[in-house]
Parts: sequence; structure tokens; C-alpha cells
Amino acid sequence: MTTVAIAAAGLIASGGEALAQKKGGNYVFANVSAVGTMDPHAAAAVVDLEAIHHVFEGLVEMGEDYGAKPMLASKVDISPDGRTFTFTLRKGVKFHNGKEMTTTDVMASFERYKKVSPNAPALGDVASMEAPDAYTFVIKLNKPNSLFVEVMKTPTYSFSIVPSELKDQPGRELEPIGTGPFQVGEWRKDSHLLLKRFDGYVADESAKGPDGYAGKKTVWLDTLRYNSVPEANTRIAALQSGGADFIATIPGDLAKRLQGRTDVKVMSVIPFCQATFITHAKNPPMSTNRNLRQAIAALIDADEMMSAAGQVWEANPSLMFKPSYYHSDVGQPWYDLHSVDKAKALLKAGNYNGEKVVLETNNNYAYMRDSSQVLVEQMKKAGINVELKMVDWTTNQADLSKGTGGWNMTITGLCSGPLLGPQQWRLSLAFAQNPDDPVVTEGYAKMFATTDAAERKKIWGGIEKYFLEEGYMMKIADIADLRGMNDKYVGIKPYYMQRFWDVWAK
Amino acid sequence: MRILRRLALRLGQAIPVILVVAVLTFFLMHLLPGDPASVIAGPEAGAEAVERIRHQLGLDRSIPEQLLLWLWHLAQGDFGTSIILNQSVLQAMGERLPVTVSLTLVSFAMTIPIGIVLGVVAAKFRNTWLDSAVMFTALVGVSVPGFWIAILSVILFSVTLGWLPASGYVPMSEGVWPWLKALLQPGAMLALFQIGFLARMTRSATLDVLDQDYIRTARAKGVSEWSTIAKHAFRNTLIPVVTATGIILSLLMGGSVVIEQVFALPGVGRLIVQAILTRDYPVVQGALLILAFLFVGINLLVDIIYTWVDPRVRYG
Repeated sequence: MTTVAIAAAGLIASGGEALAQKKGGNYVFANVSAVGTMDPHAAAAVVDLEAIHHVFEGLVEMGEDYGAKPMLASKVDISPDGRTFTFTLRKGVKFHNGKEMTTTDVMASFERYKKVSPNAPALGDVASMEAPDAYTFVIKLNKPNSLFVEVMKTPTYSFSIVPSELKDQPGRELEPIGTGPFQVGEWRKDSHLLLKRFDGYVADESAKGPDGYAGKKTVWLDTLRYNSVPEANTRIAALQSGGADFIATIPGDLAKRLQGRTDVKVMSVIPFCQATFITHAKNPPMSTNRNLRQAIAALIDADEMMSAAGQVWEANPSLMFKPSYYHSDVGQPWYDLHSVDKAKALLKAGNYNGEKVVLETNNNYAYMRDSSQVLVEQMKKAGINVELKMVDWTTNQADLSKGTGGWNMTITGLCSGPLLGPQQWRLSLAFAQNPDDPVVTEGYAKMFATTDAAERKKIWGGIEKYFLEEGYMMKIADIADLRGMNDKYVGIKPYYMQRFWDVWAK
Repeated sequence: MRILRRLALRLGQAIPVILVVAVLTFFLMHLLPGDPASVIAGPEAGAEAVERIRHQLGLDRSIPEQLLLWLWHLAQGDFGTSIILNQSVLQAMGERLPVTVSLTLVSFAMTIPIGIVLGVVAAKFRNTWLDSAVMFTALVGVSVPGFWIAILSVILFSVTLGWLPASGYVPMSEGVWPWLKALLQPGAMLALFQIGFLARMTRSATLDVLDQDYIRTARAKGVSEWSTIAKHAFRNTLIPVVTATGIILSLLMGGSVVIEQVFALPGVGRLIVQAILTRDYPVVQGALLILAFLFVGINLLVDIIYTWVDPRVRYG
């Protein structure tokens, strides 16, 4: 049996800080939009998820290193054949309504997940779920999946545990009662969400301190308020004038407005997402001409594209972020070549005859718009007949996920897959509209079947190489998210989605 | 009775207008590319997840079927439920209308006295430096983009001087001063354009009246200049000014979109903008319909004020 042990993150405060820890403070976070749903099983937007993970917890959560860590479970035992997962629950954990969490709630939560979550197919291989006693929960799979615990750590469509009495509530309409360190106070849709410290919170005392979304969480703040401030200039003004303690997503060109001030600072979270062009695998001419795809990939100039948008970025040839175990250099031969000559040679070898290529982009994200415009100019230089189709983000997103809109290539920002591992990538690989490609289906089957981590990494490397070499995905760069904060509080640390436990007033 | 009949007639005329608004809004929204299911599913979800959500929301039904269903519910007073917010459209509007109405009222309270006084002063001092100064200010107010001036205002009054909050709304239940403080800046920014419009309108109307025979008569019999303007001229400028005021009230309601966005006010304008961006069909359709009702109501109110201001309308 393999046991996933609790690992402390080593992020507990230093002695000096610890002495200063005190309860109190009403923290204000000015975010880019309002919290739309507090249903962890159905939420996918980062704005929703940031609040959700303060209120709800799962059996496992992602740790500081973005790997799976037990949270409501004290340990997870995995059978040698990779088919049976036994979760031992922590005892005495309370929901915000005062009820103790047991396997009845765990069972109900997984049943609800299967009914309402868009990610329900992730449980497609579950043969049975059993609760032999109040603190033991067993999941058996039809076929081995050594990454099943990793699947369960996902912050998107989170496998959070909710009280069993809520199991029939429809998707996105769940009453927000969890086991998290904060509970919902006032929620005014489209305006603000006020979270209060949950004084009945039962922390994981076996951990030394907070560990990503797992570990021992301590809430010092009295309240945490999420305000919706969509306009970036206003968010910055709110931070400067004391109307907010923390602000999300500062555009690169506006960050300099905060320079020179000692009471506020800009925090860069990198890697946050990766900017990537996606090729439609079913729309000619790009679907039928491998050389054309490779020629376009050879034109990508990461520096020029990112600089055009004033984006903070890092070069990285991999579809995985650098901290990931799965990061490798398999993509290096096709990365950041910025060579018109190479592109021309490939076009000639592929007998490209001026067939039109449609590049769809959006005007909501500067780095997507500007990268696309730079690439279009490069494509024209290489002699490619290209049409730039500018739409809004909602249209772009729908066209990308459904394959509609007549595009040959488009651009997006991929965030959780590169951070969390191959299991999280599975949905996004379908963007190229070839989810039934045997390289993907057989690769994943093999990856799930093996318990050898090195073998899994090798198989993922093969899938990654296939997508990059074939030009189905063209990586540009890893990009940062800039956030601003004042100096009145201690304990804020950069993380993919911001956390406010273990944060206290000076 | 005549007034009541007139009002009933206007209401009757409004029904087909509102019906056309409803159907047009429905088709315009559904003509837009994009899909609310993709917004809900998130940027990293594949086609399968999106399709599951489309089915849950009933978006996989045909467009005529969705239209008929919506109209049928509408006939029963059901404006639908927001796809994104998970609350009924009426509830969503009910929560946000007080914000927009508050903003409109504060802005209106600034627009009317300032616009009218500036217009009358400009007319009285026609072709002097004062007239030019007022008209130049009005021109600036009409021409400057609201978005830009609002951001400059935030930098000056919130960041540099620290007098007013940069964003957010405080309900009146938490105190009149905090409520007013939150709305002063957005209200003033919203009023800028309308003050310019009203000042030009009032100046023009006052100039027309000041050339009339009865004004000359008033002056000839020795009535003081300001008394002539206040008692004889001003009341006769009121018909065009009241018309402009009705339009301004509607424009303030509709024009709050940009200001609500900049100042993060959770009002109807922002609700509609967000709903358009996320393709939240029921909210856009329902909210525009409710706004159409409101505009019809404002027009009726203007009609009633006409009859009070000008007896010729009442007896004509």
C-alpha cells in the first residue's frame, strides 16, 4: 500500500512575525469581477474559485508545490493495482452549520458531483463508492488510475465536501456551507461577498503550517471582503486611496503608477498562465498541411509578442510550468525560432499555394490580441495568406471549446493544466478538436495504468512532443499575473489563487 | 377626464413598442456569437463540458422554441432567471435599481439647477465673455469622453486629495452622508455631459422668449430685469426645458453604464454590460424590457408635467 503523507510546507511565519500575530482586521480584496457562484462542484472561474476555497475543502487539496495533499482526509491508501483508494477522514471536523463531517457527507458530495458537475466524466471510471464506517471512504475504479488522487486535487470543479442535506441542490445554486476556515456572511451578487472567520474551524493540527490549499490554516482576519471592481484604473486608485488592501490583475503598463510608493507594492505571480496558439485539427488548410503548421510555429517570436503587450513573461518551451515534475525540454526544437527563412522553406516543402488561414483572437486580453497581430505580420512576411478575425473573449472562448467560428488557429491562456499536471491537461488538449486522437487516448491510458512516476513523465513527454512537433499547439511564453497590496498586513504570499488565511494585521 | 384619456392612449401606444423591444432584444442577443455555457464551463473546459451545461440550461432547444417559451413566461409575469447569477431577473433588477436610481437622482439634482442657471445666465449676457465662457464649458462637458474624465477625477479626488472614495456603493440605510459621499463623484461625472446639453438648450429657449413682445412690454412698464426673466421669461421657456429634462432623466439612467463600470457601482448599467459580455440572455432581455417600461413611465410623467406647466396642453 502507498500512503500519501501530509507534508508541511515550511511556510509558517518566522518567530518575529509569529509574535505579532493577532486577531482582527477587515480585509478588502478588489477583484476583477464579482463572485458568480459558490458551488465548488460547478465553478470554473478563478474569481469564484478563490472565494470557494476559503469556504470549502476537499479530501485532498493542492499543496504549496501544487501536488496533492490530504486535507479532510488524514491519509489516502492506494492499492498496489491502482484501483482502490481508501480515504481515512479526520475526526471532529465541523461544517459551518455545526454538524460533524462524516462519510455520509462525503458519499453525498460525490453523488452530487456526478449529477451537477461539468467535470463529472472525471468519475467515469468509478466502479463503486463505499463507506464502511463514519471515517473510512473507499473508491474502487474499473481500471487503474495512478493519477486519481491528483485528479481529485483540482481547484477547478473542486471535489469539495458539502453537508449531505444539500446533495439535491442544483448545480451553481448550492447553499455555501463547507468546512473551510471562512464562512459566508453577506453576499450581494455583482457587488461583493463578505466572508467571516469561522471560529468553529477545526484545523489540521498534524501539519506544521499552511501548505497551499492544504495544511494547518489559521484565520486572523475578522472579515474578508471580495469587491467587484472591473476597471483596472479604479482598482489601482482603490489601493492607493485605502479603499482596498489587495487588488487583482494589474495591467503591465499601469503597474508603474504604483512605483515609488513605500506603502503599496506589486507582487508578480509567475508562472500564472501560458500563452499558446492552438491549431484546429479539422479545418484545412492547417489540418491537412503539417509543413504549414510547422512554418507558422517557426515564426513565433516570444520577446516581440510579449513586449508588444507590456506583459511580464518568462521563456519556457514546455507545456508544463518549471516547478512541475513533468516539465521537460522536449519542446525546445520548435520553440521561439522567429525565423522567416525557416518558415519559407517549410512552406515550399509543404507545397503551400496561398490557401487562406484564419487566425481568431480577442480584444479583451492585450497579450492575446498583440501576440496575434505580431504573428499575422510575420505570416505575411513569410507569404502566408492570413486573415485576422477579432472577436470578444466570450465568442473566442466558445469557438475554441466547440470548434466553431471557422478558425484555423487561435490563441488562449492555459493556467491550471501546466501547473497541476497531465491529468488536468486532458480537457484542454481537446481544444485542438482531436480528443479521439490515439496519441492522446492511448497515451493517457498508459499513463494512468503505470505506477512508475518516471514512466508517466516519459509518456507525457511523448504526448507533449506530438502536440508541439505537429504544430497543434504553439507555445509562446509563461506569463505573470501582477497583483497589488498595501503594507498594513503580513503573510500574503504569491500563489496561483490568492489565500487569506495566515494573514494578519501589523 | 381628458388627461386620463390621453394617458390611457399613451399607455396603449406603449404596449406594441415594448413588445417590439422584447422580440428585437431576444433576436439581437441570440444573433451574437458566443455561448453562456462556455463562460460557465471556464476557459479550460472542452466541448463535452460545454454541451452538458447547454443541455442543463435548455440552450440546446431551437431559437423559436426558446423565444416562445420566454414570451409565454413573460405573459405570466416571469422575466426569467439569470444563467450566470442564479437569481431571477426581477430580483437582480430589484437589487440593482436602487443604486442606479440613487446615482440618477444625485446626478439629476446637480444637472437641473446648474444647467438651467448656466443657460439663463448665458442668454441674459448674450454675446459677452460670460456667454462665451458658459458655452465653452458646456461644449467641453458635452465633448469630453466620460470614461477618461472619470478616471482623471478618481486620480485627483480619491488618490491625490483623498476626499472621496474611488469606488463602491453605500446604501442609504447606512447613513445619508456615506451614501451621498459614494455618489458625489460618479454623480458629477455623469452630470457633466447633461449639464452642457441642458445649458445650451435653456440658453436657446430663453433667447427665443427674451425677443417676445410681452417681455418688451414688461421692461417698458419698468419691471426689473431679473424679475422679468424670473416671472415672465422663465416660465415660458419651461416647455422645451421640461422636454429636455425628461430626455435627460432617460439619458442619465441609460448613460450610467460607463460610470457604474468605472466606479464599480453595482447598478443596472453594470448588470446589463456584464450580462452582454457573458451572454446572459435572460438578464439582458428582461432588464432592457424593464428599462423600456421605465422610459415609457418617464415620458408619461413628462406629459403630466406639461399639463401643469402649460394650460394650453390641458385645454387644447
